[in-house]
This record gives sequence, structure tokens and C-alpha cells, in this order.
Amino acid sequence: MPTFKLDDREIPFEKGETIIQAAYRQGIEIPHYCWHPGLSIAANCRMCLVEIEPGPGQRAMMLDVLKWDAARNDYVVDRKPKLQPACQQMASEGMVVRSENSHFVKDARAHVQEFLLLNHPVDCPICDQAGECKLQDYYMSEQRTPKRMLDEPVHKPKGVVFGDTIVYDAERCIACTRCIRVCDELAGDHMLDLRERGNKNEIVTAPGRKLEGDYTLMTEHVCPVGALTSSHFRFKARVWTLTPVKSICPGCATGCNMFVDVDTREQRAYRNRPRDNEAVNKFWMCDDGMMSYQRETERRVLKASVRKDASREETTVEAAIERAAAGLKGVQKGWLAVLLCAQSSTEDNFVMVEFARQLGAPLYLTAKAPWKGDDILRNVDQNPNRAGAVAVANNAKVGSLKDLLHAVSAGQVQAVVGLGACADAEADTLAVLSRVSEVVLIAAHEGPLAAKASVLLPAASSFESNGSFMNVKGIAQEFRKALPPKGDAVPAWDLVAQLGRAMELDLKYRKFKEVRAALAVLTPAANPERAPVVEPTTPAITPTTPSTVTNP
Amino acid sequence: MPGKTKVLKKPSRTISDQSYVVEVMKGLGVTLKHFFQGTAQMVSGNVPDAVKNPLAEGIATISYPEQKRPYAERWRGVHRLTHRDDGSPRCVACLCCSTACPAQCIYIKPGEYPEGDARRGYERYPVEFVIDELRCIFCGFCVEACPCDAIRMDTGVHVTAFEVKSDFVYDKDKLMSIVSQHGTQNSENTRHEPGDAGHPGIDRLHGGH
Repeated sequence: MPTFKLDDREIPFEKGETIIQAAYRQGIEIPHYCWHPGLSIAANCRMCLVEIEPGPGQRAMMLDVLKWDAARNDYVVDRKPKLQPACQQMASEGMVVRSENSHFVKDARAHVQEFLLLNHPVDCPICDQAGECKLQDYYMSEQRTPKRMLDEPVHKPKGVVFGDTIVYDAERCIACTRCIRVCDELAGDHMLDLRERGNKNEIVTAPGRKLEGDYTLMTEHVCPVGALTSSHFRFKARVWTLTPVKSICPGCATGCNMFVDVDTREQRAYRNRPRDNEAVNKFWMCDDGMMSYQRETERRVLKASVRKDASREETTVEAAIERAAAGLKGVQKGWLAVLLCAQSSTEDNFVMVEFARQLGAPLYLTAKAPWKGDDILRNVDQNPNRAGAVAVANNAKVGSLKDLLHAVSAGQVQAVVGLGACADAEADTLAVLSRVSEVVLIAAHEGPLAAKASVLLPAASSFESNGSFMNVKGIAQEFRKALPPKGDAVPAWDLVAQLGRAMELDLKYRKFKEVRAALAVLTPAANPERAPVVEPTTPAITPTTPSTVTNP
Repeated sequence: MPGKTKVLKKPSRTISDQSYVVEVMKGLGVTLKHFFQGTAQMVSGNVPDAVKNPLAEGIATISYPEQKRPYAERWRGVHRLTHRDDGSPRCVACLCCSTACPAQCIYIKPGEYPEGDARRGYERYPVEFVIDELRCIFCGFCVEACPCDAIRMDTGVHVTAFEVKSDFVYDKDKLMSIVSQHGTQNSENTRHEPGDAGHPGIDRLHGGH
């Protein structure tokens, strides 16, 4: 691989790569605003200027400048090298680039930074970006001088509503055009543009349009300053109180990598952010995925309940498990069906398969009905773990929910033990389940199946437990527990194991580690530890606060 | 002054100092002198009787809590939220105070001004502002952290003793009703509102640019 020299380091690069890109892959950040690894090159912020030494036999490109001489109290003529934007300059073999080592570069950065802050309102205390703002970061690392302009700054529109999801503040904007490029290059819809020039420059929506579609929140995500704010997170929290937890989006079969930002004091999730993974979602997530932190906490099953005649009666988890075990013991071998769930983690399904194997029960799979996908990120399959649920069955036949309903109407099933309450069959066809004497459901969220359950056990959601999903490409990916389980909820694998033990089965799992270890032996393909996340070091997007919530 | 050092002579210790007895007697002497002087003055009627009339002028003993020493200007009492000229809180709900608070006793729920309000887009405001005065350790970090001079501890008041714990949890209305030592609800520092000349944030149409 060819290399070039950046300050004192040799940086390998591939042909066609720019200086900033090659440095970024080595984990070196050259200060920048407009450049983003996932977007085209704009080279308009001038923050990434570097000094490039002339090649052998070439003359350095020098500029005549006036320099202030404090001793003479006057300007003197001086020369300085012409600096080049590192985001646009292709790297070439043997090139010598000075970034931190060049005082010309340090000067240029300080001046660009001062220039960008000339008309900035500096309303950091009420700005949602404060704490993860590039203007703040680079002020501290590159500028650290007070403002010299005494004039009234230029005023521009504030609190402009771009659409249902985004609110824009033109005074904070540095016009780096990242948001415009996200609309153009990711969503493929030119909804945003620039108007005016110079310091009157502002982002506007296209005439007659508003910012809409499935990727609007990415405009806010790429904004290096506080100009674009998302209406769901606006004014809700300060980023320095949030702790990022590595997670996987439960929204669809793509399995986008994300951070869930939780406030550990309030034990509440405040937002999702895409986590870079070259192999899955690159740098992006769709709006539905970004909002999954709200859906995960809605319509939860929080208490165990047992059906009594027509109504449901809340009870403790232990009592409900006892009641379920008693009901299932009467069922003859071969008359029990086990329902896996494409919404539940691989570990939950794995223990469920083990449960079914010991009882010799046939396997069925329930899932959410397909939704409208696209060819960017959103998969047609709304279920994050269909592949994982099938994989843990280890080539055993897995029927669909419709197959189960057929079997029920044919009178071949007396009892059902199932994960999840979602259903990919029409609601009226579920009525046949009332013929089954015992339906034990372990679910985190309410769903069409929940009403049919004779015993309903509260499971922890994917935000409240460790686990893994296998996405549509067959990549097993791990998610970490971000929040403590709500109500009486317990991880679903634990409930299955408890139920199994109550039925005198050999299900010894008491710790998550034990489930994962057994999974690694029996279904190595579904073991997320085998598939390391392709995670480029990203100075632009990695969280500023270290992850402290890890509950292995 | 650098380079100049003054050498202090260590006082010598005599045998009477060393034995303590003489010094203790001297100290007791001072106490007894005041005891007899005070009694004589009281009997002669020059000073009011401290037992019968403890609040009268001329008595050295301060009868707390009826009498109090004046607190210093910077003494940290119970919090108050300062007002703007129109009576709304100066607070912009930036959460700097709750971030700085080591006791985590401040809870703020920020909100956006409604459509049409001059401050919409420029500022936020506290929908809820709650301080748990029982948790508070009166360190004053919240006052230091506030960029708007919106929270102050210049009231010169202790937290009143309540019988119910929930009474110690001061909400926004209560915090805004408390006045400073000088009886004001505002602060000395001036504040520009959106639309004022000099307020950073007149929009493009009105700003003359």
C-alpha cells in the first residue's frame, strides 16, 4: 500500500483517497466541518487546510501576505505557503503533509474558526448541540481567543420549522451543506438548498416543499453545529447527562447499528443515534429507526396476568409461571406447539427451541407483517431477527403462524407456548386460538396475540436486556442492556428457563453468559461474538462521553 | 515583595507560661472581672436585666432566633428565581444549574415559547423548576453556573422547618415568590429582550442588514 507522511506519521492510503479520508481511517482527525465520510466533498468550510510540501524539483506555491509586526507597530510584507484542503486533495505516494506541525495551518484554523464564530449567537446554554458541537470543540483546540468584532452580528431567522421532524436556526448555521448533501445523496430528494451568499447565507427548503421522507433526522445527525435540531429531542435533555449504549435497531431486518442515549439518573432513553458500521448501515438510520426508542417503551406488558373467565387478572410472575406449568403438564406429548418470534432476540429464541426440543414440540414462527421498505436501508421485513430465530432451530422445521392456525383448526394442538405477541396473520383468523386450552405467551409488548393468552408473562424489551439479532444478511449483532427492565419484566430467555424448570425440564440457564455460551456451541453461526462489527474509528461521530453502562 | 523576608522572633516561654496554672488564673480573672462588672451594672440599673428583658438594647447576648446577626451580602440562603421586567422568570432552562448541582436537587423541564411569542426560537423557558431544599447542600454552584443570573441565593433566609417532607420541595411559583434581602424580585444585572436594541436576535427583516 502506498503511503504519505502526515506530520510525523506514515499514513497508508488507497489510490483515489483524499488526505483527510486516509487519516480518518487511521483514527487521526484533521479538523473539519463540511467533510463527512459518508458524503461527497464540498470543501467549503476551509477548516481542514493543510500545508503540503512541494514535490522534488517543484517550486513551493507561496503567497505574499502582510504580517503584523508588533515591534515596528506596522504591517510588513511576508510570504506564506498556499494551504490545501485535506478533504479535497488526493493523497499521493511520498507526499509530505503538515497539519499539527505547521504554524501556518494552526494559524489558518484559528482564523477560520474566528470567522465562523463572527456572527454566531453563542447561545450554547440553550443549544441542544452544546456538548457535542464542533464549534465548541474546535474553539477549545484551535482558537481560544476572544471575539474581536464589535459590530452587531448579522441576524437571521430562528426556529424555522422545516418539517415535522426538524427545526432550523439560521444564526447557528455555518452553511457547511452537509444536510443538503444528505438529502441529495442519501434520501435522493433535493429538499434543502442554500439561499443568499456570504454571511446572509442560510438553508431553506425547496419552494413549496417541506423536509419529509424517511431520512429527515439524518440531516440533524450530520449537522456539526446546533443549526438543525430534531423536534423530538429539542430542549429535552443535555447531551452530557446522556450515556450511549451500543444497541441494534429493532425496527427491521437491516439491523442498523445504533447508540441508545440514556439518562442514567432518570433511567430513560432520550434518543437513538446511528453507530457507524461499514457492513450494515454505514453512517445512517431511517426516521422510524431513530424513533424506535419511543416505540420500545410504549404498549409494554408490565405485569404477569392470567385469564379468568372473560377478564384478565394480574398476578406475580412466579404465580403465573406455576399456573402455566400446571396447565401445560396436563397436555399430552405431541399436542404442544412452540411459537418462536422474529421480534425477540436470538438468545430468547434459542432457549425456547431448547424448551421445544425437550418436549418434542413442533416449532412455529410469528412475526410482524411486512411493511414498505426501500432500497436505501429499510428492509421489507419489519422483524429484526427472523434469520436468528430460524438459525437457532438448527434445521428443524419452522412453520409460520398460519401453519399453526391450520394445525389448531385441524385439532392437532392442545397448548401453545409462545414468544412475543405480534402476528403476521389476519386478526380474525386468530380466533381459532380460543380452541386451544392453554396459550402461554412471553411478550414485551402488547400485540394481537396477547388477548388470546391464558397466561401472559412480562418480558424485557430489547432495550432492557442483552442479546443479539441476526440481520437479513446473516450478520449476528449484539445489543447491550440500556435500561433496567420496567415493571415486573424479566428477560424472555429467563422466563422460558423458569417455566421449563417448573415443568421439570433440564433448562439450567440462570445467567445470560450461560445462554450465550450454549448458543456459541450449538449454533455458532448465530453467535454475535463471531462476527466482529466493522467499525471504522470515526472522529466525526463517535460519542464524546465514554460508555459506562455495560451489563454483560 | 520578592526577595524581602521579615524574620519574626519566636516569643520566649517563661516558667509561668510553661506551667499553665498562672495563665489559667489570668484567664479566669478576665471572666470574673466581666461577671462582677456586669452584675454591678445591672444592680445599679445602668443596663437592663438580661433575664427579665432579654431583647432590650445594650445586652451583649443575641437571643436567637428572635434576634439575628445580619448576614453578609454573599451569604447563601434559600434560592429564589429572579424576574424579568414583565414578571416572567429570567431562567432559560439551560440546565446548567442542575448539571452543576452536586446534590442533584434541581429538576427542570424545559419548554418552547408558544407560536407568536417574541422569545420563540431565541430562548426556552422552564415549564417546571423544582428544588428539593432538603437535598440541597447550599454550595452555591447553581448560582455560579447560571449564565442568566436567574437563580440567586441572596435571600438571607434559612429554609423554614416544615413538618412534611414534600413541603421542602420548592416549585417554580414558590421560588419566584421569594425576595432578596433587599426585597427585590429582579436582579441588578440588566437584560435585553428579543426586539430590544442590542439584543442579539432581531431577525433579518427588522435588523437592517
